[in-house]
Amino acid sequence: MSKPEQFSVSRRDFLKTAGVGSLATAVTAVGEGTAETEARAQTGVGTGPRVVGPGEVPVTLTVNGRRVDLRLEPRVTLLDALRNRADLTGNKRVCDRGACGACTMIVDGRTVYSCSTLAIEVQGKQIRTVDGLAGTNALHPVQQAFCDKDALMCGFCTPGFVMATVALLERHPNPTPEQARKGLDGNICRCGTFVRVLEAAMEAAKAVARG
Amino acid sequence: MADPRYAWPANPKLLSTRVKRLDGPDKVTGRARYTYDINRPGMIYGVMVRSPHPHARIVSIDFSAAEKAPGFKTAVKAKEPGAKVLYQGDPVAAVAADTEEHARDAARLVKVEYERLPHLSSEAAAMAPDAPIVFPNGNTRKANAEEQGDLAAGFKAAAHIVEATYSTHVITHVCLETHGTVCEWEGDKLTAWVSTQAVHGTAQGFAQGLGIPQSNVRVITQYMGGGFGSKFGPDLQGLLCARLAREAKAPVKLMLDRKEEHLDTGNRPSAFAKIRAGVDATGRLTAFDAESWGTGGAGAVSSFPLPYIYDFPNRRRQHTNVFINAGQQRAMRAPGHPQGCFLTEILMDELADRVRMDPVAFRIKNLPPAGPNAMWADYFERGAKQFGWDKRHPTGDPAPGPIKTGMGVSAHRWGGAGRGSQVHVDITSDGGVVVKCGTQDIGTGTRTIVAMVAAETFGLPIEAVKPEIGDSIYPFSGGSGGSTTAASVSPAIRVTSVNALEQLLAKVAPTLGVQPTELAAEGGRIFVKGNPSKGVSWKDACKSIGTEPISVDGKWEDGLSSTGTSGVQFAEAQVDIETGIVKVTRVLAIQDCGLIVDRLTAESQAYGGVIAAINFALFEDRLLDRSTGQMVNPNMEWYMLAAMSDVPKIDIVLNNMPERGVIGIGEPPTVSTASAIANAVRNATGATIRSLPLHPHKIFAALDQERAGGTL
Repeated sequence: MSKPEQFSVSRRDFLKTAGVGSLATAVTAVGEGTAETEARAQTGVGTGPRVVGPGEVPVTLTVNGRRVDLRLEPRVTLLDALRNRADLTGNKRVCDRGACGACTMIVDGRTVYSCSTLAIEVQGKQIRTVDGLAGTNALHPVQQAFCDKDALMCGFCTPGFVMATVALLERHPNPTPEQARKGLDGNICRCGTFVRVLEAAMEAAKAVARG
Repeated sequence: MADPRYAWPANPKLLSTRVKRLDGPDKVTGRARYTYDINRPGMIYGVMVRSPHPHARIVSIDFSAAEKAPGFKTAVKAKEPGAKVLYQGDPVAAVAADTEEHARDAARLVKVEYERLPHLSSEAAAMAPDAPIVFPNGNTRKANAEEQGDLAAGFKAAAHIVEATYSTHVITHVCLETHGTVCEWEGDKLTAWVSTQAVHGTAQGFAQGLGIPQSNVRVITQYMGGGFGSKFGPDLQGLLCARLAREAKAPVKLMLDRKEEHLDTGNRPSAFAKIRAGVDATGRLTAFDAESWGTGGAGAVSSFPLPYIYDFPNRRRQHTNVFINAGQQRAMRAPGHPQGCFLTEILMDELADRVRMDPVAFRIKNLPPAGPNAMWADYFERGAKQFGWDKRHPTGDPAPGPIKTGMGVSAHRWGGAGRGSQVHVDITSDGGVVVKCGTQDIGTGTRTIVAMVAAETFGLPIEAVKPEIGDSIYPFSGGSGGSTTAASVSPAIRVTSVNALEQLLAKVAPTLGVQPTELAAEGGRIFVKGNPSKGVSWKDACKSIGTEPISVDGKWEDGLSSTGTSGVQFAEAQVDIETGIVKVTRVLAIQDCGLIVDRLTAESQAYGGVIAAINFALFEDRLLDRSTGQMVNPNMEWYMLAAMSDVPKIDIVLNNMPERGVIGIGEPPTVSTASAIANAVRNATGATIRSLPLHPHKIFAALDQERAGGTL
C-alpha cells in the first residue's frame, strides 16, 4: 500500500478514504523469474491464478542499488524482510499497519509504508531505505539539516521522517511550508519534534537548491 | 554546598549554548542500533500469549498444538492454571520460534481455557453500589483526607461559589519503540539489550526476577525509542524473554507489538473531582473542597496534586483510588500534574469570571509567595505581553461565523532534582578523554550533555570527549525519570572532571614553573592564568601522563543542582462551532530549569512537552468497550496523535538560572498546555468544557449547556 499522493491528501483523509482494513494479505503471485517458477514447482499449480507460499520462496530485491537475495514466506513485509533477514534496520517498525510512517521507504520514487507492503510485491523495483541515503563521507542534505536543527529526539521516527522529507524535496524542490506540512503528515513523532522537522525540511530545501 | 573548586564556571564556553546532539548522525542514518534493531547470530523470536478477557481465571494452558508448529523452539508460562488475569493483555505465556512469523503462529496455537469472571471497565461501573467485588480488598480505596484551614469560614467569606465536576481521561505512553528485550546467555551470564530508562535498575530487576547474581547481568541500552516514564525494569516480558533464551539455548528477541504496548505497558490514570470553591468580592480565593477519584487500572493508584499551585487558604480534599480491569498505570511525563493542573485551571477561569477579573490578574493575585522555584508572577506578566493577551476578548468570541477564537493561560510546577550518580573519567597520554557513566539517553540528549560538561571543564571542544553511557558495566547512575537525569549526571561529571584535570595540572605545573592552582584549561590549552601565552596545548600537556592514564572515579555532590521549577503557558485556539473541531493556533511556553546545559536540546524538550499535551488535550484517548472490557483503539490510527498539520506555532522562552545549578526540563513543559487550550476554547465559545479530551461531542454538549444558560 503506497502512501497518499503527497501534498493533496492528509493522513487522516487517507485513512478515511482508503480504509485501514485493506492491508494486503493475498498471495497471488506478482513475482518474476525465480519466484514464479519456484511457486509453480511448490504448489503444482500450472494454470489459473498463480499462487505462492505459504512456505518460503526466493525473493530478489534491489535495495539501495544492491541486489539482495532472500528466502521468505510471501506474507513477509518489505520492512520485516529487510530488518529481520537483511539486517537493514534503519527504518523502524512502530505501528505495523501504515499509520505512523516510521517505516517509510522510497520505492520507484514513491514513498511507501514498508510495514504494509509485501516484499514479493516490490521485486524488480528500486527500493531506497534510510540506510543507503548518506554518502561515504557526507550526510544527505536532509540528514544534515535534521542534525543541525535538532529535528530528532529519541530518533525512532527519524528514519521515516528523513525518507519522507527526501521524497518531498525530490517532488517539490522548493516547497512552501504548507506543502512541506502536507508532505510530512503521514509521519508521527511521539517526542514532539514536528516544529524542528519542518524547519529542517525547509533548510534542506535551501541546501539542495544551493547544490 | 559543594567544594568551590567544582562550582559551575561563571563564563562558560559550552554550557547554556546550542550544541548539536552527538548522536544525531547515527540516528539520521539509521546506524543507531536500538534494542529493536539488535540482530544476534542464531537469534530466534519470542511472542507473548495474553488474556483476551478483562477478568478471568486460567483453567488450563496447553502448548501441545504450538509445539507442533513450524519453527517452534520453546514455550514458558507466565501464570499457572488457577491464577487470575485482571485485564485484557495480562500475560499468560510466551513462545519462541525460528522466525517472528512462526513465533506469532505458534503463540496463536497455545490453547488457554478461561473461566470468565465479572469485570469493571469504567470508574462509574466500579463505584456503582451494586458493582461486583472484583478486587479482593474492594473496588475502591480511600486515601487519607488532606485538610488545611477552616473550610466553613472560607465558604462564609466567599462572595461567589463555583461547584462543578472536572475530569481527565486515560492515555497511554505510545513509545514508538515498543517495550522489549534481546536476551543472550553465555553460561550463567545474561546480556540483555533492553529498551529501558534505567540500565542499572533493569539489571537489578533481571537479577531479582531470575534469582541470579546481579554481577551476572549486563544491560545495554545505547539508543532507545521513547519511554516517557513507562520503561524502568525488565518487566514480565523481559523475564520471559530471558527464560525463553535459557531454555532454547539461543538469543531471543521479544519486542511487544503495538496492541500489547497499549494494553500492558502503562498509562496516565484518569482524574475526576467534584469541586466546590469560593472567592471573595475582591478576587481572593477563600475555600476549596474536593472529592476526587480516578483509576490507574487493575490495583494501581491514581494520585495527583489538588488544588494545583494557587493559594486556597482553607481547603479539604478526599481522594479515592478506583480499580478497574485495565492495564496498570505507570509514571507518565509529569505524573499527576497534567491532571491536577487541568482540574484547577479550568476552575480558576470560572472563578475569575465570577468576580469579573482578567484571568492573568486573578491568578497573580492568588499565587503562593514568589521564589527562585516560583517565578509565575513574572512569567504571567512577560508572557501576557509577548502573547498579546491585551487583545483577548471577554469570554465568548463575538465574531460572526462559525470559527471562534480564544486565548487561555495556565501555570505549573515540577520538582526535578539531582541524586547519586557515579562517573569514571580517563585521560590518556594521547590527549584522549573518555567519560563513563551508567546513565542512558532516552532521547533527551544525555549523551551530549555528558560530553559537554566534561569538555567545558577540560577547556576542550566537545568532539574531544568520548561519552560512554547506556551500559550497566559503567558506574551506577539512576533511572531517567522525574526530570532528574541532567541534575544527577552533570554534577557528577563536573566533580570527576575537575579532579581529573587537577591531576593533569599537577603534572604540567612543574614544566611551566608554576603551582597547579595557577593554571587554567581553556581553548584546548593549559596555561598560566592571566598569561595565556605561557602554556602548552592539551595534547602536549597529556604527553606528561605516561603509560598509566589519569583515571578518576567521582560522584554527584550537592550544590551543583537543585529542585523546583516553574512555568506558564499561553494558548490560542480556534473552535469551529459547527463541527466541534478545535485547532490550536499558537502556544507560548515560558519555562525555567535552573542552569541550562544544552539550550538546543532543552528547547526541543519544551517543544516536545507542548506537543505531547496537545495530544492529551485534543486527540488521544484510551477507549474501553463497556461490555467486553476490551480496548477498542489499540493501534495508531484510531488512537489519534498529532501529525505535522496539527502542530501550531510554538514559542519557547527558557529562563536560564545558572545560580540554581542544573535541575531538569523533561516533564514540566507538558503540564500546562492542555489546560491553557481548554481555557482558550472556553474563551472562544463561552462554553466551559470541564472534561478532557476536547473532542467534538463535548464541545457540542458544552455549547448546548451554554445556550441553556448553564455556564457562567
